[in-house]
Amino acid sequence: MSDQTAGSERKGAIRNPRDFFGGLALVGLAAFALWASRDLPGMHGFAFGPGTAPRLFAGLLAVLGAAIALVGFLTDGPPLERFYIRGPLFITASLLIFAAMIRPGGLVITSFVSIVVAAAGTDEVRWIETVIWAAVLTLFCSLLFPYGLNLPFQLWPRF
Amino acid sequence: MSDLISNLALGFSVAALPSNLLMCLIGTLVGTLIGVLPGIGPLATIAMLLPITFGLPPVGALIMLAGIYYGAQYGGSTTSILINIPGESSSVVTTLDGHQMARQGRAGPALAIAAIGSFFAGCVSTVLVAALGAPLTSVALLFGPAEYFSLMVLGLIFAVVLAKGSILKAVAMVLTGLLLSMVGSDIETGQSRMAFDIPELSDGIGFVQVAMGVFGFAEIMRNLEQTESREIVQAKITGLMPTWADLKASAGAIGRGTLIGSVLGILPGGGAVIAAFAAYTFEKKMAKDPSRFGRGAIEGVAAPESANNAAAQTSFIPLLTLGIPPNAVMALMVGAMTIHGIVPGPQVMTKQPQLFWGMIASMWLGNLMLVVINLPLVGVWVRLLRVPYRMLFPAIVIFCAIGVYSLNNSPFDVVVTGLFGLVGYWLSKHDFEPAPMLLGFVLGPLMEENLRRAMLIARGDPSTFVTRPISAGLLAVALLLLVLALLPMLRKQRDVVFTESET
Repeated sequence: MSDQTAGSERKGAIRNPRDFFGGLALVGLAAFALWASRDLPGMHGFAFGPGTAPRLFAGLLAVLGAAIALVGFLTDGPPLERFYIRGPLFITASLLIFAAMIRPGGLVITSFVSIVVAAAGTDEVRWIETVIWAAVLTLFCSLLFPYGLNLPFQLWPRF
Repeated sequence: MSDLISNLALGFSVAALPSNLLMCLIGTLVGTLIGVLPGIGPLATIAMLLPITFGLPPVGALIMLAGIYYGAQYGGSTTSILINIPGESSSVVTTLDGHQMARQGRAGPALAIAAIGSFFAGCVSTVLVAALGAPLTSVALLFGPAEYFSLMVLGLIFAVVLAKGSILKAVAMVLTGLLLSMVGSDIETGQSRMAFDIPELSDGIGFVQVAMGVFGFAEIMRNLEQTESREIVQAKITGLMPTWADLKASAGAIGRGTLIGSVLGILPGGGAVIAAFAAYTFEKKMAKDPSRFGRGAIEGVAAPESANNAAAQTSFIPLLTLGIPPNAVMALMVGAMTIHGIVPGPQVMTKQPQLFWGMIASMWLGNLMLVVINLPLVGVWVRLLRVPYRMLFPAIVIFCAIGVYSLNNSPFDVVVTGLFGLVGYWLSKHDFEPAPMLLGFVLGPLMEENLRRAMLIARGDPSTFVTRPISAGLLAVALLLLVLALLPMLRKQRDVVFTESET
């Protein structure tokens, strides 16, 4: 995602930066897939091997990605859109915290922390309201999932 | 014909069981609720509710999930009309005329026509699903691996042609999806592919994680960019019933919308969103005075609302008969069926008739419930919209996180979902559509399996795809579609070059 600043600076050179960098990223993905499937056996006789289909699709993707980048280089298009950091950052952080805490921390504490972190993802956050709302939601989740739906959740940390 | 009636009778006897009626009611209510709330679509909701269905009998579970899908089409229209915010992407066009009607104090008739149109479309498409089920199933039995492969190619091409924006980019997204679906273990040899010895990846990347990431979380990230501005029509909703003139004006639109929706729903890659757009455009072209559209023309509400509901229901046809999900929501239904040990495909109808027909009958009952229950509830739904987004989105995040986690009790799944959220956000910034990617991702394993088998049977000769008549026909249609879609683009490109060389 670091191509954003680079793109807006070089706006004059690349006429359709959204397509150009998007296409390049797909070429990169295809190259990565080709590299990751390099050790898989390919065709033997007329039967496909495990590596045939991945390499086939990766090859096609590389060609198309290059074509998109080329079109982006030759035609005009809208400039890159700004990437907002705050929302994606806190949402991702909230999910990572959930993943890290749910096993050792139990549902109650994990939900509360994850909700508060996620809520910080907007400029409009109001902290007192958030804490109360997080407590209400935590209570709701702790009743709904383990009791209402009978899912195997551990509520509190294990010591 | 008598078969059809006896089958439907069987279906209704299953669907009318109290427990199944309850499931249908819950499904349609939850569907309407999420349809009303912007920022959470049917896809994320079905993904979230999948774990709930573990404990239910398969018929009840599928009835509920289906109810969520068509309930959401319905709920989306309510917010489109009242506050000019489409709750669902399939209701975007309804805002154009629906909200104008609400501003002119005709919110009641707009809502009622949306409901009546949806119900009519629901009735027609229920019969259509029932009538087309049996013949299509017998066609499916003629299909070999080559035909299946070609059919899926056709489906993906449809998805590409109908996606908005560049065809090249949509094809690239399909390929990205196919490539992602290769991660995991090889189907024949069991060899690990591109999994980097990560044990959680040995089964591949989960569909729910990808879907919830690129649709659910990416959507939230985008919504957080804009600060909130919601304008609710405060005027009282008086006189729910449309006048006789309204009914007469919209009758044709409802019929045409239903037809367009039914056809686009069956076609792979189609679905409710495209159906609504197509019906609206068609109605505008048909109209004697197109300038009325966008200023509160009742046909502009009737046609897309009928179309999206019809499409939502007929998209079950390819899933139930051929076992091929035509869009992302149906792909999730495959997941739901697999959880209950049902393999979607032609054998569902013969081996589990009560499931097949019960589900179809429940669609009609569900549509009836939507009309009867939801019109009086409009006030409640509107009040719900006053919940500000800053409170709504943390709730969605935590429900999704818990839902994904509880699928396999795996924290790794939650991380993958977050990753795909970022991927989806990036894709939207570069004008890539995530829907073709998801379809490619779902069809990937099926496509590879059938491609390999077809090649093996033909002893490595790829011409098998064009020498077998059905397969050749399907591929020809796919090629034709692609050419038709590419032609205007090439012409436009040429025009651009031309004007530039002039100046």
